[in-house]
Amino acid sequence: MSAPPVRRSVLGMVTEESGAVVRLDGVRKEYGETTALDGVSLRIGAGEAVAVMGPSGCGKSTLLNMIAGLDRPTAGTVEVHGESVGELSEKGLALYRRRRIGMIFQFFNLIDDLSALDNVALAAQLTGTPARQARRRALELFDELGIADRRNAYPAVLSGGERQRVAVARALMNRPALLLADEPTGALDSRSGEQVMDLLIDLNQIGQTLILVTHDEHLARRCAGRIVEFADGRVTGEHTLEPSA
Amino acid sequence: MRAVWRTARAAVRRRRLQTVVIALVTLTSTAALVVALGLVDAASAPFDKAFGKQRGPHVVAAFDTGAVSDAELRRAARQPGVEAVAGPFAQASVELPQDSMNFGLGGEITVVGRAEPDAPVDRLEVWSGRWVTGPGEVVLNRDADWAPDDLGKTIQVPSGPTLTIVGFAFDLSRTADAWVTPEQAEALSPTTAQLLFRFADASSEERLRDGLDAVTEELPADALTASWSYLTLKDRVSSSARAYTPYLMAFGVLGIAVAVLIIANVVSGAVISGFRHIGVLKALGFTPGQVVAVYLTMISVPAFLGCALGTALGNLLARPFFEFVFSGPDAGMLHGSVSIAAWVNLLALLGMPAVCVLAALAPALRAHRMSAARAISAGSAPRAGRALGIQRRLAGSGLPRAVSLGMGLPFARPGRSVLTLAAVVLGAATVTFATGLATTMDRFGNAGRDAYQVTVYVGNVKNGKEIRPKHGDHELHALLAELPGAREVTARVDVDVRMAGSSHEVVLEGRRGDRPRLDSVLTEGRWTRARGEIVAGSAFLRQNGLRVGDSLRLERGERSERVHVVGEAMESNARLIIADWPTLTALAPDEEPIAYHVKLRDGAHQDAYARAVRAADPGVSPSLSGSNSVTQTVVGSATALTLMLALVAALGVFNTVVLNTRDRRRDLGMLKSIGMTPAQVTVMTVTSMAVLGALGSLLGVPLGIVGYDLVVPRMADAVDITLPAYMTDVWQAPALAGLALVGIAIAVLGALVPARRAARLTVAEVLHSE
Repeated sequence: MSAPPVRRSVLGMVTEESGAVVRLDGVRKEYGETTALDGVSLRIGAGEAVAVMGPSGCGKSTLLNMIAGLDRPTAGTVEVHGESVGELSEKGLALYRRRRIGMIFQFFNLIDDLSALDNVALAAQLTGTPARQARRRALELFDELGIADRRNAYPAVLSGGERQRVAVARALMNRPALLLADEPTGALDSRSGEQVMDLLIDLNQIGQTLILVTHDEHLARRCAGRIVEFADGRVTGEHTLEPSA
Repeated sequence: MRAVWRTARAAVRRRRLQTVVIALVTLTSTAALVVALGLVDAASAPFDKAFGKQRGPHVVAAFDTGAVSDAELRRAARQPGVEAVAGPFAQASVELPQDSMNFGLGGEITVVGRAEPDAPVDRLEVWSGRWVTGPGEVVLNRDADWAPDDLGKTIQVPSGPTLTIVGFAFDLSRTADAWVTPEQAEALSPTTAQLLFRFADASSEERLRDGLDAVTEELPADALTASWSYLTLKDRVSSSARAYTPYLMAFGVLGIAVAVLIIANVVSGAVISGFRHIGVLKALGFTPGQVVAVYLTMISVPAFLGCALGTALGNLLARPFFEFVFSGPDAGMLHGSVSIAAWVNLLALLGMPAVCVLAALAPALRAHRMSAARAISAGSAPRAGRALGIQRRLAGSGLPRAVSLGMGLPFARPGRSVLTLAAVVLGAATVTFATGLATTMDRFGNAGRDAYQVTVYVGNVKNGKEIRPKHGDHELHALLAELPGAREVTARVDVDVRMAGSSHEVVLEGRRGDRPRLDSVLTEGRWTRARGEIVAGSAFLRQNGLRVGDSLRLERGERSERVHVVGEAMESNARLIIADWPTLTALAPDEEPIAYHVKLRDGAHQDAYARAVRAADPGVSPSLSGSNSVTQTVVGSATALTLMLALVAALGVFNTVVLNTRDRRRDLGMLKSIGMTPAQVTVMTVTSMAVLGALGSLLGVPLGIVGYDLVVPRMADAVDITLPAYMTDVWQAPALAGLALVGIAIAVLGALVPARRAARLTVAEVLHSE
């Protein structure tokens, strides 16, 4: 079987692959007596931008954690690029996250002790990439994301928007197949939020598969091509959006 | 108040691991402190304690009964400076025949008539049998060699009564070898009256002499025939304990320092890691005072519990430990009176909780002054400029990222890291010191151990009767050499001689046969080659102001011999000198060997050889060489103390990693989310402590060597021996290389469990809780 064609850019190495990149079949997740996901089945295709929406506590972040390999399903299967995430060992999950997933969190989750540049380079260095090479790649991303002048600043002195751009750069560092964003504008002011939204749109337009968890309809409509509605751990609706002008 | 208590209780429940760590650390630290302080206390004055318990006499005085009457003595003893007096007791010297030697009594013994063991001075402890009640009965003053089975045996006094042994007493002051009733003493023709004094001021020989002068002032000039003070006895009896004192003190001080450091680290760390919680409490409306109260309560509950249990554990550990340590030939008689002093328990029960409260108070008061917002933000890792610079340099290094991240972690919490480092330094210093000490003691204990494996003593006892050997000296020597397994036989004779110009008696040991050196270790000079040459023990040379190369004249009866000191041997017996056979026979031509030392061939069994000896001549008693108990005691106790302190230091590291992991949960979750494997998390966490471990070795090993250099010479001085260079030359490259790993080992040992726990953190849970 020949490898799928790829398209390269500074921001990522995007697989031009047809068909579903993410497959969820009957995924259940229970925390004690609480059911967070109740038989979720979902397909997400390559290059798609999908927004998962729903009220607080409906299980959308749990869904994202399952896809990211941060947690394991109680039942059902999660497949990403044909790899069954739930069956991976702890080390296998770490390598999976390293190679395939880029994650953006609501509260950025940057390491306070490291400069913005080192925070981003870290993701590549964990894979064994030499420091110099990792920093070069990080600088390219900083240039591309418009924060090159903030590369030596520490997270504590960055604005919310800048921190989230650094977090996006970190997520893109290893050219992930899948970019997952959990309320990426939730902790930002409206202007910073708009900037991050533009960034996500740009990324998707060059072919980056994107899954977005949010309860912000404006964000979902601007960034996503499809909205999956969630309630009580179940998919309650799904609709495709027309691309915005 | 109820809110404070409920919040503190909830916090204790929520921070189970931290609560357990605080309790565990305070428990082990307090136990270590109790043992350490107990050792310092016991090692400082074991003689004084036993002597005080017996109300031992400060001065034992002997008076000529021909020159002074008992009534005059009683009157004279009533002096202002005399605190208490016992006697006068009739005292007789009795010459016992050779066969009584088997009871451990020398040829001439001192017998004293006492109606009761109890007296205002010198309370005798009858440890087996009973006190004398009538004529024909005797109580002996001996310890280790006697067993209750010997009760009922008899001693025949030449041209005097037959005395039946009815009891064994222990008298630390050694005022007599045996006691009989006053009536029986009169029958032994006593020429001396014994008086035992306790003086109000017994601080020095001079004061004691002044006290005795006051007593004898009105008595005839020649009435006092002899006197000796407890200070001489103290010096002799406590020599073993003196040898232990420097190293026990060193361990004690190390133990106290490690315990206090760890407690300060654990407790202050627990409060600092709770800053965010403190901020939340303030935001909820808790007053600053209530917040401090919550935290002090939260820390105090497990800490006080740990201190109480640790004190109990320390007492439990100390008992067998002290019996083990104070079990030498002289110290043995002291062990019964050595126990954990009340002040040690009191100090542990009050002092350690006070350390905990003080350690918690400093950061709690800092939190008290902080605004709620600042307290909340202080809960995350600080961003110190220097730490950030170090992280930046490490990030650009060629090291694996998990390693470089770990190396930078200690700089995020410098205060906590310094306290942890101090504990590791002390742990590494302890192990270094103990390794050096054990190596020296091992070499000391094994010095000359291969010289002989069996000692065959001349004479034996069967059914209470002494049996003399069937063979003469030379016949016996030849016989022992011919028995299967024998390789070398060396005969030994001990005779009392006198140094010309000195009243001191000297034991001259003559050796004849295959290995005249036996187990003696030369520290200077050479071994004897001809008649007129001697090798002297270091203690003998020091006490007599002699050196190798000096000459002295030895006298015995009418004979005398000028001898030349050609060597110094490692020997603590201050009366012993060693010569070859011609020198000995020049002074004591008729003296016969008291023992033969036999070195066996490789593979020969001691037991088999001893059986063959018994079968060949029932008039000899073979004794097998065992291990050196002093060496075993020091090495064993040092090992036990080292393990305990290393464990406490490792617990300190454990606590630091637990706190660091708690502080950096969010970072750990994020690192895992971007692909850090569990192994990398473990490596990062362990590396963060290994850095402190390496630094701990760097500082701790030299500190341990300094401790060794301070302590070991003092131990040797205490027992008047000079150690040969090979025994103290213990810091070779391989040993140092091994010791360099000690700090790292302590750090890794302490860090591994919490590091693996950190590696298993569920990312989703951590990030969700943030």
